[in-house]
Amino acid sequence: MTAPTRAGARELLETTDDSLLDLVDNLLNRGVVISGEVMLGLAGVDLVYVRLQAILCSADRVEQRHAR
Amino acid sequence: MSRVYLYALLSGPPACDTGRGVCAERLRIVATGGLVALVGDVVDAPAPSALTLRAQDAVLRRLATELDAVLPVRFGTLVSDDVALAEALARRQPQLARALGRVAGCEQMTLRVWGDVATVETPTATAGGGPGTRYLAGRRHAHERARRVPELEPLRTRLADLVREERVERHDRPPLLATVQHLVRRGAGARYVDVVNAARDSLRPWRVSVTGPWLPYAFAEEAA
Repeated sequence: MTAPTRAGARELLETTDDSLLDLVDNLLNRGVVISGEVMLGLAGVDLVYVRLQAILCSADRVEQRHAR
Repeated sequence: MSRVYLYALLSGPPACDTGRGVCAERLRIVATGGLVALVGDVVDAPAPSALTLRAQDAVLRRLATELDAVLPVRFGTLVSDDVALAEALARRQPQLARALGRVAGCEQMTLRVWGDVATVETPTATAGGGPGTRYLAGRRHAHERARRVPELEPLRTRLADLVREERVERHDRPPLLATVQHLVRRGAGARYVDVVNAARDSLRPWRVSVTGPWLPYAFAEEAA
């Protein structure tokens, strides 16, 4: 995966746009997962996840991601 | 070398032009094992940004106007080629087909419950039993609690005729207490919002926010 730019990540993390937060939650955190083929464990994407989890998602999922 | 970027599973091949994807690549359809996949050929998966996330959502929304069911795949899903895609889909073909059937003709509404303090529920005391029984009872209580949103009880009966399925995530990190995803019939989103707005007073002290309609992202997870 192309590494997310710092500005792009900041936009995702610091937005106050509810619709954008929901979009991030839906696209990055949900949807069909084809195990072993999702290329999201790279670069700054984990940071996006961690902050998003704090905002939107449950603690057990954060722990799952840290355990990977 | 290009790889195959997977966008969604579809209820069938669209009659319209599939158009272009997030990386401006020409989208194409791969039919395999009774499933229809929307894919693009890319060198790398797009980096997540507001622009690319909105673009991917827009690609799928456009196709959803033509199709009964669009089952979104998680952003960033890349496989090496069509053979690898066919193998990955074949491994869970029954689950994917069921998920497609579940979301057919439906859209997703997202409800978030807000409050200043976490809701406290005391576990029912387990009569008798040793530490193992108490441990298992505690686990069961936590499991059940993770799927309950008592704050929304006044709203449930009012939404009953609109909601087909529900997914619950408790957070209990004030101010965000829970996220509830509802699967509703396509076109019912506006009425859903009206019902929620009319119920706000009865939900106090809890507050709710509602967004949607979305593609049924939250109802694809069990296909994994």
